[in-house]
Amino acid sequence: MEISEPTNKYVELNMGPQHPSTHGVLRLKLLLDGETVKKVEPIIGYLHRNAEKICELDYYCDSLIYFDRMDYVNSLSMEAGYLEAAEKLLGIEPPERAKWIRTIMAELSRIASHLVWAGAYGLDMGMLTPFFYVFDLREKLLDIFTEASGSRLLTNYMSIGGVYQDFNEKIIFMIREFLETFPKKLEEVFNLFVKNDIFISRTKGIGILEKDVAISYGVTGPMLRGSGVEYDVRKAEPYLMYDKVNFDIPVSYSKDCLGRFLVRYEEMRQSLKIVRQALDKIPEGPYFNPKAKKSLMIRLRGDGEVYARTESSKGEFGVYIVGDGSVKPYRVRVRSPTFKNLSVLREIGKDVMIADLVAISGSIDLVFGEVDR
Amino acid sequence: MNILNRIQSILSPLGHLPSYAGAYIIETIIVLIFSVTVIAGMVYFFRKYMARVQNRIGPNRVGKFGVLQVMADGLKLMQKESIFPDGRDDLPYKLAPIIVFMGLILAFIMVPYSNLYWFGSLTITHSNVGIILIFAVLAIMPIGEILAGISSNNKYAMLGALRAVAKDISFEVPMMLSILAIIMISSANTFQPLNLQNIVSVQSIPFGILEPIGLFIFFVSMIARASYSPFDMGESDSELVTGDTTEYGGLRFGMFYMGLFGTIFLGSMLVSVLYLGGGSGPFESSIGFVWFMVKTIILVIISLTVWLSMPRVRIDKFVNFGWKILLPLSFINLVITGIIILSGIGGIA
Repeated sequence: MEISEPTNKYVELNMGPQHPSTHGVLRLKLLLDGETVKKVEPIIGYLHRNAEKICELDYYCDSLIYFDRMDYVNSLSMEAGYLEAAEKLLGIEPPERAKWIRTIMAELSRIASHLVWAGAYGLDMGMLTPFFYVFDLREKLLDIFTEASGSRLLTNYMSIGGVYQDFNEKIIFMIREFLETFPKKLEEVFNLFVKNDIFISRTKGIGILEKDVAISYGVTGPMLRGSGVEYDVRKAEPYLMYDKVNFDIPVSYSKDCLGRFLVRYEEMRQSLKIVRQALDKIPEGPYFNPKAKKSLMIRLRGDGEVYARTESSKGEFGVYIVGDGSVKPYRVRVRSPTFKNLSVLREIGKDVMIADLVAISGSIDLVFGEVDR
Repeated sequence: MNILNRIQSILSPLGHLPSYAGAYIIETIIVLIFSVTVIAGMVYFFRKYMARVQNRIGPNRVGKFGVLQVMADGLKLMQKESIFPDGRDDLPYKLAPIIVFMGLILAFIMVPYSNLYWFGSLTITHSNVGIILIFAVLAIMPIGEILAGISSNNKYAMLGALRAVAKDISFEVPMMLSILAIIMISSANTFQPLNLQNIVSVQSIPFGILEPIGLFIFFVSMIARASYSPFDMGESDSELVTGDTTEYGGLRFGMFYMGLFGTIFLGSMLVSVLYLGGGSGPFESSIGFVWFMVKTIILVIISLTVWLSMPRVRIDKFVNFGWKILLPLSFINLVITGIIILSGIGGIA
């Protein structure tokens, strides 16, 4: 006699798009066996704003603001990523001072992004307090961004051929002050995480991402380095001024959520190291290439195709632009690191408990502006 | 002599039956006013304390220093429209918040708010089996949570209720065993070992010093009973939205909310009564209530600090913790208590 499988063995559960743990508008379709997740399917597209298509309708210099709005907690790295491609296509080289300024700002932005992530990860775990501490730390960075660009989050600071405004004494003073006070406070906040046994038990050995799986899914950034692959675009294919500064790539071989957490923690300290060196090495000189000054900016024409990749706080951020010789790009395409990192959730998010799934999806560092674009 | 008898003797010119009826009505009003005031104070204090811990200011707009914020929130909850989910089981859905709140208020009746010398220990209802009764009415509260979870036709609520059941079973056995150890000591000293007033008065050495393991188990159990972080698996707001209370709004949600804060206060009161000597202190005959409140508030602050600094434990790990660590510990506690009683440490017969 054959016993047939009961049809109602599993419970289907929709997590999101409106759900406290989904960092925006991720929808997870779960198949549950009691508390165990048997299958997980991420469904995206709730924040789709058609940014790539809108870029085709705008001048090269105007498209920058759509990149601000992709990874909105890390907007300066996004700008640097777009300009890396756009300037290559348009044949405009920014002066050295502008490159240094961009390096500094991108690294500060990386710290801000990791701080937001750590706070949100604490909330995923049920820790209320570190969230406020990291936002307090981030406020100092936002003050620096405000001083430089005039706005806190969506800075629109860099522009084709350089940056919008030169670093003045006050900004450099603020950054130096930040470099002095930040490491101690950072350690204080992170001890709340790493010295807490419950936090360790929630993350250690949870969400194991094997090296070959990570590579085959195109996972990059702290996710990949948390799986023991020493790959960072800043070292592998240096852009801006990363070949002139000395820093290490933190790698964790534990492959779990805790490893990713520690990689991001160490990355913040390496970013501080980069900023410190950059402040010492930054030369005097123009901060803007006169070939791309304001009156000429919208007349810049690009021809051919170009792909440039940079390391954002989430991973490898690639921008592909095709120009047809007109003042507007023919096609813009973004390789979003979070999108690729999210796709691996299907592998590492099954046969775990619901609480672990939240820990795992939190450790990916999801920002939906970037996944859906 | 308890408060009920006092009020009854004042009302005695009215006759036997009316005076008792009047005394019960007045007593009910006193308990309701006291518990709701305490809960409102707890909510305000929690929000201010949480803000202080997190480098914020906290409520400061309604009333002086925001003291009326809680009242404003309560009024808002009362004005809200009741939204009922489709496909609910109507009676349990409406009954659940009342059950949770009722269990809490009933437990407030039996706590001895002072030592014996101060207004007859300031207990509202004397009972010879107070300690059993108080845990019996506390056991009503999880029924409300479970009813809320299974009647609101929501998968999150259902999962939350299942977690609440698993959690309750795994901590209640060790908790009752640690209570048993207290009854053992108290029965070696008085003829009414289950009477909470007697348990307070026999603590010439607080039981928390004699039984530190029991104190630990009971405190952990009280965190789990009130279900706040690190043991808030039933709600787990980042996983199950808000667990068993997901479909509730308005005053019904308010009852669950008051149940949470009331249970934190009640748990602190119980730890203080059972392990820290309740209303007794250095100047014991005069200010028993003050001593009791000081101990309780210190315990409340400890509880809130734990809440604010801990992440959530995974449900299976908590079940493991309950059955594999707390339960053996509570047996060890029983053995230690037996040795203490036999050896007569600290003047205990």
